[in-house]
Amino acid sequence: MSAGALDRTLAALADPTRRRAVDLLRQRPRRPGELAEALRVSPPVISRHLRVLRNHGLVAEEHGDPRDSRLRVYRLRREPFINLRAWLDQVEAFWAGQLSAFKAHAERTRRGKRP
Amino acid sequence: MRAAEVATVTTLVAVDPVRAFDVFTSEIGQWWKSAPRYRFHPEKSGTMRFEPGVGGRLVEVHDAKTGAGFEVGRVLVWEPGARLVFEFRGRDFAPGERTEVEVRFEAEGQGTRLTLEHRGWDTIRPGHAARHGHTGQAFGDMIGLWWADLLVAIRARVAR
Repeated sequence: MSAGALDRTLAALADPTRRRAVDLLRQRPRRPGELAEALRVSPPVISRHLRVLRNHGLVAEEHGDPRDSRLRVYRLRREPFINLRAWLDQVEAFWAGQLSAFKAHAERTRRGKRP
Repeated sequence: MRAAEVATVTTLVAVDPVRAFDVFTSEIGQWWKSAPRYRFHPEKSGTMRFEPGVGGRLVEVHDAKTGAGFEVGRVLVWEPGARLVFEFRGRDFAPGERTEVEVRFEAEGQGTRLTLEHRGWDTIRPGHAARHGHTGQAFGDMIGLWWADLLVAIRARVAR
């Protein structure tokens, strides 16, 4: 995984509206109008956020009907989330190690106090 | 649904929540793994220490006499026996960039269920340093190296 790709994913997720859009898109692909309504933002605002998500590679645009732009739908791309997950797995492995050291210490000192 | 950008780890420890909180904070210097490759400072070794209470610092102390060291972050929530939230910065983080660790202590059976969430990775924006893959990278390297060591340790144990 490249650090640059991860940076881009995290940067795209730095905005709360985009995070909520991503959460909605995790359920299923959606039209921009649907997202705007669910997130209570105007169509130009959702367009801007979708553009950022698309430029950062988090979503892809599909045309339900190429003759009608209102039928565009956005879906999440899997790859950036696999990279993010791989990163979080490393963070979790780090803390799992620290917590097992914590647990061992807490239980050792407890036994020391009450033999 | 689990948030996309949160790392979560949980453990069950056989002491009550008040004691678990106390061990986690006041005895962190005794249990925190600080082998050379996982330190916050590239050369100096140190001991982790929490200053109790909201606004207290989590410091990797490099000089026991003066207390000088690397400030990992400030305590944001300090509820003994229940909840602890603190900032967590790597050594190459830019000013204003911080991640956040929340630890919850809940009674379960005779012991405590400890749940740790590390979040806020999205606040590390690709600014001038991150653009070159710098920000967050030192911490990433630290974790990556630690992970590699863990695998070696596991392999060694399996081999025996």
